[in-house]
Amino acid sequence: MSEDKVNCKDVMHHVCETLGEDLNSDRCVAIKKHLEECSGCKSYFETIEITIDYYRKYNEKMPEDAHEKLMKFLDLDDCE
Amino acid sequence: MEETEIIKLAQKGDRKALAQIVKKYEQTIYNFSFKICRDRNKAEHIMQETFFSMVKSLHQFDGNSKLSTWLYRIVSNHCLMLARKMKSRPFVSLEDDEGLFEDKHAADWSSLPYKSTENKELKSILDDSISKLSPEYRMIFLLRDVEGLSTEETAQATELSVPAVKSRLHRARAFLRNELNKSFQK
Repeated sequence: MSEDKVNCKDVMHHVCETLGEDLNSDRCVAIKKHLEECSGCKSYFETIEITIDYYRKYNEKMPEDAHEKLMKFLDLDDCE
Repeated sequence: MEETEIIKLAQKGDRKALAQIVKKYEQTIYNFSFKICRDRNKAEHIMQETFFSMVKSLHQFDGNSKLSTWLYRIVSNHCLMLARKMKSRPFVSLEDDEGLFEDKHAADWSSLPYKSTENKELKSILDDSISKLSPEYRMIFLLRDVEGLSTEETAQATELSVPAVKSRLHRARAFLRNELNKSFQK
């Protein structure tokens, strides 16, 4: 991919590959410029972020008795 | 007391220090296990096995990585071992990523009804989508994006190279996003 000419598919690929990475190369500047001007790619970028955010917020609490069972299993139940 | 001091005490056989470490990380390890196997009983079993391994091999921990990264490596191994033992449906292949990055996948989610992950329907969509990914891809996505490890730490925890982590990660992200998109369009 050239540094100043990118298409939407390049951008989608790049967004997935580099999200969360340091984006300062010439290639990344071109990608950022494309993102500002292309509503489709901007939406794609946002939906990738929303996907990650959903999985980040979907958490499961340990069952109430799991801690006690774990400490017994490890023979550490007298250490609390 | 600093964590490094607690680890040193635990390595010398101090059981109270060991218990402190277990207590500090048990919820994290349970949550991660659950996210991989999507089953409460299995998650509890993996958590127990992870800490059992930790107790046995803590003397080998050299402090070159964070303790959490080291624990993620242990829990990841247990998750993979369990997944390989289980007979499950075939997972999607992401080796060919051509179809993952097509313009037709562009969509606007700004008016999504799902504002909270407490929503049962959304939970079901998230469960179904990630279940289609093989545990190897699931692990990378969860360690890097959900647990917030750096790419290098994810590579350490999974014993993969950094380029291999990046490659799996971007495919997993695109795949999950496309699965969610399909569900949201229904």
